[in-house]
Amino acid sequence: MTLTPGSSLALGISLIWFSLLVLIPLTAVVVSASDRGWSGYIDTITNPQTMAAVRLTVGQSALVTLVNIVMGTVIAWVLVRDRFFGKRILDVIIDIPFALPTIVAGLVLLGLYGPNSPLDLHWAYTRNAVTLALAFVTLPFIVRTVQPVLEELDHDVEEAAASLGATRLTIFRRVILPSLVPAITAGAALSFARAIAEYGSLVLLSGNKPFSTEVVSVRVLTHIENGSQASAAAVASLMLAVALFVIVLLDIIQRRVSARA
Amino acid sequence: MSIEVSNLTKKYGDFYALDDVNVSLPTGQLTALLGPSGGGKSTLLRIIAGLDTADHGNVSIEGVDATKLPPQKRNVGFVFQHYAVFKHMTVAKNVAFGLEIRKTPKAEVKRRVGELLELVHLSQFADRMPSQLSGGQRQRMALARALAVEPTVLLLDEPFGALDAKVRKELRDWLRRLHDEVHVTTVFVTHDQEEAMEVADEIVVINQGRVEQVGSPDQLYDEPANDFVMGFLGEVTRLGPVRLRPHDVEVAVTPGHAGAFPGTVTRALRVGFEVRLQVELDPEFGSSDPVSVVLSRSHARSLDIELGSKVWLTAAIGAVTVPAMVAV
Amino acid sequence: MLEVSTPVKWLLRLLAVGYVFFLVAWPVTTIVRTAFADGVGSMLEVFTDPATVHALSLTLQIAIQAVVINLVFGVTISLLLVRYEFPGKRVLSALIDLPMAVSPVVVGLALLLVYKPNGGWFGETLAENGIQIIFSGTGMIMATCFVALPLIVREVVPVLHEIGDDQEQAARSLGANFRQTFWRITLPSIKWAVVYGVVLSLARSLGEFGAVKVVSGNVINQTQTATLLVESKYESFDQPGAYSVAFVLAFLSVICIVVVSLLRPKEIHK
Repeated sequence: MTLTPGSSLALGISLIWFSLLVLIPLTAVVVSASDRGWSGYIDTITNPQTMAAVRLTVGQSALVTLVNIVMGTVIAWVLVRDRFFGKRILDVIIDIPFALPTIVAGLVLLGLYGPNSPLDLHWAYTRNAVTLALAFVTLPFIVRTVQPVLEELDHDVEEAAASLGATRLTIFRRVILPSLVPAITAGAALSFARAIAEYGSLVLLSGNKPFSTEVVSVRVLTHIENGSQASAAAVASLMLAVALFVIVLLDIIQRRVSARA
Repeated sequence: MSIEVSNLTKKYGDFYALDDVNVSLPTGQLTALLGPSGGGKSTLLRIIAGLDTADHGNVSIEGVDATKLPPQKRNVGFVFQHYAVFKHMTVAKNVAFGLEIRKTPKAEVKRRVGELLELVHLSQFADRMPSQLSGGQRQRMALARALAVEPTVLLLDEPFGALDAKVRKELRDWLRRLHDEVHVTTVFVTHDQEEAMEVADEIVVINQGRVEQVGSPDQLYDEPANDFVMGFLGEVTRLGPVRLRPHDVEVAVTPGHAGAFPGTVTRALRVGFEVRLQVELDPEFGSSDPVSVVLSRSHARSLDIELGSKVWLTAAIGAVTVPAMVAV
Repeated sequence: MLEVSTPVKWLLRLLAVGYVFFLVAWPVTTIVRTAFADGVGSMLEVFTDPATVHALSLTLQIAIQAVVINLVFGVTISLLLVRYEFPGKRVLSALIDLPMAVSPVVVGLALLLVYKPNGGWFGETLAENGIQIIFSGTGMIMATCFVALPLIVREVVPVLHEIGDDQEQAARSLGANFRQTFWRITLPSIKWAVVYGVVLSLARSLGEFGAVKVVSGNVINQTQTATLLVESKYESFDQPGAYSVAFVLAFLSVICIVVVSLLRPKEIHK
C-alpha cells in the first residue's frame, strides 16, 4: 500500500523517535570521534593499551564465533533431528543467555570457574574468562538461526540424494550444509557483533587487567569515566563500524535468501 | 448499469496490467471476467472493490463515482481466492463481522447470521473455527460473510481456484442457483472458460490488459470477435486457410466433396463417448501440424475409421471459422 | 531423512548436552546454591534493605516504561515496514536492527554526548528549560529502550509477512476502517508474536547494565538499578548480598524464558 495521511503521520512520529533515540546519538559518537582531528583520532586508537584491548577483543570474538559455528550447528542438529529425554529442557536452557542479565551471567560463571570452583578450574581474571563469558552470551545466536532452517528442510531431497547413492557424509556436506550456510553466516555475524560489544558479563569475571584481559568496551568506559569523551568516542567508532558492517551483511544475506525462495 | 468502468489504466513499472479499459456491467446479472493468468482481470476486480487504485480512469457503482472511495465505503462484497477467513473467529463471528462493524443490533445480527448460514448450508457449523472446515465450506462461509452486509455488488476473485475439481463443479452450480435466489449484481474472475460458460449471463474476455470481447456465452462461442477469443473459449484446429473447432470438421472416407483435404489418420484416441483423431494432410496440402478432429463414437464406428485410414476433411456447413494467422 | 549412525548420534548428543551443561546449566545452578547457602532466611533478608528494595523497584519501573514505549513503537514500525511502501524502507528496516549490534557502553556514550546538560547537543537547551535526561530516570529509560528496540519488531515482522493482508482486505471490504481492522483482525493474528516480543524485551530491560551504568550516575537510592547494585555489592565484598539480588534477577529472567517457551508451541500449532 502507498502511505495514507494516517500512516504518514505514524511514520513521521516513529522516525523522529528513532532519530532522537538512535540515529542522532550514534552520529554524535562519530562526530565526537573526529573532534581532535585525524591525528588525534589515530593517536587515541593506536595507544598501546587500546591496541591490546582491540587485539584481545577481535581475537576472542573470532575464536568464540568459530566455536559457535561448530557447536551451534551441532546443538541445532541435535534439537531438530535427535529425540531423547530432556531435549525440551535443553531447548529452554539455550535461551537463558539471551535473558539472563549480563552482570548475573558473569556472577554465574564465577560460581563454576571462579575462586571456589567445584571443578578446580580457576579461570577468573584470565583470558579463559573472556572466552568463557563471550561463549556464554553468544551461545543462542547460531542455534536459533539454524534451527528453523533445519526444521523447514525438505526431507525428500535427502532421500533423493540417498537413492542416487550418496553416502551419509556426502548428503550432509552436499545437500544439507549448503542450505544451512546463510543461516550459519547470519548467526555467526550476530554472534561476532555481540562478542565485540560485550561488557556486562566481563566486569566481574575478567578483572579488566590492562594488556591482559581488558576488552574494548571497558576501554570506552574507562575513557568516559576519566571524562575524555572524545577518546571514548574514537574507540567507540571502531565498534560502531563493526556493528554497521554486520547489519549490512545481515541485510544482504536476508535479501539473498528471500530472492532464492 | 450497475458498474461503469471508464478509461482505466494501471501500470506496474513498464507493464500494463490494464490498458484503457472501458466496461459496463449490468445490474442484477452474473458476469464473468475471463482471461489467461496475468491478463489483468483480477486487477480490474480489485480496482472496482477499491483494494487497488488505478493510475487513470474512473469507476462508478450504481451511479456514484467510487474512484476515490476507500473500500469500506463502497459497499461491495468481496470473496478472495484463498478465502481470507478470519482465523481467530468462529464461523458465525466471521459472518457477523460486517454487521457488527455497522453497529447492527445484536438480535438483528443473530437473525441475519442464522439466515445466511442456512442459505450456504453451514448452520450446523456456526460455532466451529474455520480451520475445522473444508475448503469448499470455507469459501461458502466467505460468501455468506460478503452477502451479510447486503452489498450493492458482489465481487469474487477466482472463487473456486483453490478447490479440487469435484468441489469446484458443485460450488459452480450452487453459485448459479444462489444468484437466481439473491439477484445481487455479481462479478467473478476466472481463467476457466468452462466455468464462465456454464455460470455467467455475460462474459468479458480480458487479455493483456485489454477487453477483447463482451457478450453472452453463446455469442462468444458462435461469433468470436477474433482469433484469441475463439482460441480461448475452446479447442481450435487449422484446416487449410481457416481455423475452426475440431468437432466442426466433417470427415468422409471417399473423395466426394470439392475442396476436401485428403489425409491419413495418424492417431485415434477414444475418450468416453468421443473419438479424437489426428489427421496428417497429404504433403501437397501440407500445413506442418496435423489437423485435430472430434467425432462421436457411433459416427466413427459407422465410418469404420482406424489408424492409417485415408480420410477427406471439410469444414462442416455453418461451422464457425476465422482466417488462420500466417503459419509460423 | 538422513539417519546418522548410532555412535555418531550419541557423540553429537553428548557434545551438545555436555557443552550446554558446562557452559550454562551448571553455572546457573551455582547461583541458586550460593544465594541460599545460609538458608532462605538470609536470602530474604536482602529485601529488608531499603537500598535493595529501591533498586529493584526502580529497575521494574524503568523496564515497564521502556517495554511500553517499545511495544507501541515496535508494532507501529512493523506494520509500516510490512504493509506500506515508502522511500528508504530498506535502509530503515536494516537500521532497526542496529541496536542489537551496538555495545551497551557505546549506547550510553552516544546518549551522553547528545543529552548531557553541559555540552550535549540537545542537553544544554533542555537543561535551560529544566529538563534533565542524563543522570535521571528519563535517560535510563531511553538507554533501555535503545538496547531492546529491535526485539518486538523482529518477532512481529515475520508473522505479519506470513499471515499476509488477505484478512485485512476482507475486513476493509466488509466496511471496517483502519482502527477496527487493526483491533479486530490484525492484532488478534499477531498477538502471540507481540506477547513473545514483550516478554523478551522485559527480560532484556530488567537486565540492562552497561548503557544504564553510563547514563545513570549510579547514585544509591536514586538512580541505582538492581544490576548496578549487584556490581557494587560484589565489589564492596558483600558477596552474599550480590548473589541474593542476582538470584532475584536470574529468577525473573528464567521465568520470562519459561513463559516464552510455553507460548511458542501454541503459536506453531494454532
